[in-house]
Amino acid sequence: MPPTLAFLARRLLQLGPVVLAIAALNFALLHMAPGDVADIIAASSGGAPVEFVEELRRNFGLDRPLWEQFLVFLGRLLVLDLGWSHIQQAPVLELVMERVPATLLLMLAAILVAVAAGMLLGILAAMRHRSWIDAVLSILALVVYATPQFWLGLMLIVLFSVTLGILPSGGMMTIATDLSWSARALDIARHLVLPSLTLGLFYVALYTRLMRASMLEVFTLDFITTARAKGLSETRISFVHAARNALLPVVTLAGVQIGHILGGSILVETVFGWPGLGRLVFDALLQRDLPLLLGVLLVSSVVVVLVNLLVDLVYGLLDPRIVQR
Amino acid sequence: MTTNLTKAIMGAAALAALAGTAAAQCPKTGGTLTYLYHPEPTALSTIATSAVPVAIVSTKIYESLLTYEGAGMTPKPGLAESWTVSDDQKTYTFKLRQGVKWHDGKPFSADDVKYSIEKVVKPYTSRGRVYFGDVEAIETPDPYTVVFKLKAPVPFFMNVFQPGEAPILPKHILETIDTSASGPVRQSSLMRQPVGTGPFKLKEWTRGSHVILERNPDYWRKGHPCLDQVVLRVLPDGAARAIAMESGEADVAPMSALPEAEIERIAKLPHIQATKEGAEALGPNMWLEVNLRDKPLSDVRVRRAISMALDRSRIVDVIWYGQGTPATGPIVSANPNFYNKALKPFVYDPKAANRLLDEAGYKRGADGVRFRMTQNFLPYGESWVRLGEYIRQELGKIGIAVDTKSLDLAGWLKAVYTDWDFHLTSTFSHNYSDPTIGVQRTFISSSIRKGATFTNSMGYQNARVDELFAKAARETDKAARKKQFDEIQQILHDELPVIFLVELSYTSLWNKRVHGLITNGISMYSSWDSVWKE
Repeated sequence: MPPTLAFLARRLLQLGPVVLAIAALNFALLHMAPGDVADIIAASSGGAPVEFVEELRRNFGLDRPLWEQFLVFLGRLLVLDLGWSHIQQAPVLELVMERVPATLLLMLAAILVAVAAGMLLGILAAMRHRSWIDAVLSILALVVYATPQFWLGLMLIVLFSVTLGILPSGGMMTIATDLSWSARALDIARHLVLPSLTLGLFYVALYTRLMRASMLEVFTLDFITTARAKGLSETRISFVHAARNALLPVVTLAGVQIGHILGGSILVETVFGWPGLGRLVFDALLQRDLPLLLGVLLVSSVVVVLVNLLVDLVYGLLDPRIVQR
Repeated sequence: MTTNLTKAIMGAAALAALAGTAAAQCPKTGGTLTYLYHPEPTALSTIATSAVPVAIVSTKIYESLLTYEGAGMTPKPGLAESWTVSDDQKTYTFKLRQGVKWHDGKPFSADDVKYSIEKVVKPYTSRGRVYFGDVEAIETPDPYTVVFKLKAPVPFFMNVFQPGEAPILPKHILETIDTSASGPVRQSSLMRQPVGTGPFKLKEWTRGSHVILERNPDYWRKGHPCLDQVVLRVLPDGAARAIAMESGEADVAPMSALPEAEIERIAKLPHIQATKEGAEALGPNMWLEVNLRDKPLSDVRVRRAISMALDRSRIVDVIWYGQGTPATGPIVSANPNFYNKALKPFVYDPKAANRLLDEAGYKRGADGVRFRMTQNFLPYGESWVRLGEYIRQELGKIGIAVDTKSLDLAGWLKAVYTDWDFHLTSTFSHNYSDPTIGVQRTFISSSIRKGATFTNSMGYQNARVDELFAKAARETDKAARKKQFDEIQQILHDELPVIFLVELSYTSLWNKRVHGLITNGISMYSSWDSVWKE
């Protein structure tokens, strides 16, 4: 078997136990919080008699001992049944899968913005090391890094939606219009600009700084000196020779931060009314909708594990030594 | 105060004008009305929960036997064309409208009514037993007649047939599900793909984003609804909702859909109309629940001192940005039928509060503290946190040291209503259309039961109050009933089993191009079949 495939197979095999362990941990943690969904449902209707609440608990299986509930949960998990959301009145898997595309789209767009812009700006700053460009980029990066995401989002809305009126303020698409396939894609793209910028800018700042430091380090290595001796242009050296080698730390960090970006998407999805997972998990937590919450966490952990795997594969492409080890 | 009064009078005049035109044809038909709300409804039927977002959207789809007019909720024909009540008030006969069709085309009949109430509304909704507990039998002598036989008179029986409280569901779909337990009912398709008789039917629900309702072309009321579509846009961020109203992207922000801090600013915009009217039959009332089982708080003088130490006008103006009225008792002053006008406002007098505590024997210690206690707050957002901070500060001034405990909703419900593990907590409760439905449950001793949310968590017992509520629940003479409730209000005002604070407002805002929204005490929970847009 070629080393890449063996690596892939090994990692996929690890996926099962990892996800199961995450599920068990989630279950334990979530059941430590006081209160349950039956109380929430009764309260949302403005209060209810004890019999009503007890009947709900019986129906939801909340009256059974915790270990029994856990075994039921695990048993269902093995056949990919994530259970029923008693708050949303729908199967958990359906609810989660409805939201996955929106979140993936937002995450990927944000990562793309972050890595592409971060790389470019980082290279630029390193090439003009200690010049005014470097100083301006460094200060901008610091400011963006320190800006709270929700505030940044609101300010972008005020600027682009209210003042300039060129981009929509929220949602994922224009409601109640029949659009052709291409027009719909364009419509979604327009809605995607502000949220992905909001989510991505923080990481742009981070990667700019990282890429800059990494580039400066690579610039001191012998092969760069060789390239310079050959008489190559600075631009070619920076973008072709140095960048590929300087990229490794950025990709590593991006891989580690997938989970972090998913967390950040809760805020961004709230500000922009983006119908993704982040929003779902937040509502589910407040409503003690444990089946839904467990489902979202499970799917998120699968997404994070898979994306990490993808990052490792990209890593292998950038630095073939990693796979062989 | 005067401005409130003027507003109320103007509101009443506007209401009367609207009521007069309600029967007329639509001044204009067509158009899409977009309203904003968050959280998103969790279902499209109030059988699942009568939470505000669910009630707003599902009442356009499902109907009940009656509709209502005015803040006092005068019954008007709905699915029932006419009705008679027997002299002993134990038999209610409703004549149903003929030719009404379900959204799937099947005909509507008396069987649907009987089946819905008996199998679903009575057993599986949170107030079902309050409404229909005394119904002995529901008879359907012919397909267009429904007869409710009651064991004893239920004075509020004409109030219960609201579209959100007693929705009529299609029997031909209910028959296909197991109605022996709440589980299958709650999981049934009717919660997500509703089939009702109302003026609008579901076109599309994209979770996390929007719900689109479209005109029901076969609606029984000819020429109605006026609108082509009603769209709910779910915008989770309060500031973003305010922006959507400001820019005209959305038409209506019903029932305090905007954050309190934004309402005043948006309401002043020239294209926006705002009102606190139209929610009289809900009557949200906020108070501090007091655990009367513990020593200092069981003393009425201590509760009076706490009441005097809090400035209700300040709470309204500063914490709720003017969105409310100081409360005087358990029934809100906007209630046109039952509010006791003889109640005096609570006075803010920290000096008298200090004197009262001295007299009660709670002297200040060396550190200036008389006694310590904990408080919780209802975890419904920023205002409630600020209220907790204010209470801590004011009670500190009269020598009561308060520690604030912060819990999320599920934890708070358990601490207050199941474990009774609290001293003082803010909460709010709806009056609903009748005190027997909404007020009684908090103050009668038989509702001191662990695990029942929004009931008598205080452990309050007063034999006279119990007796009066029991009488009023059966009283057929309107004037006598009013007197019973007047006495209850006076007792509760004096004994303070809870510290009454503020009658909250459900402020609704709309773009002035929309007309006919405010029609009764549950305006946002009405069908909107006469609402039109320029």
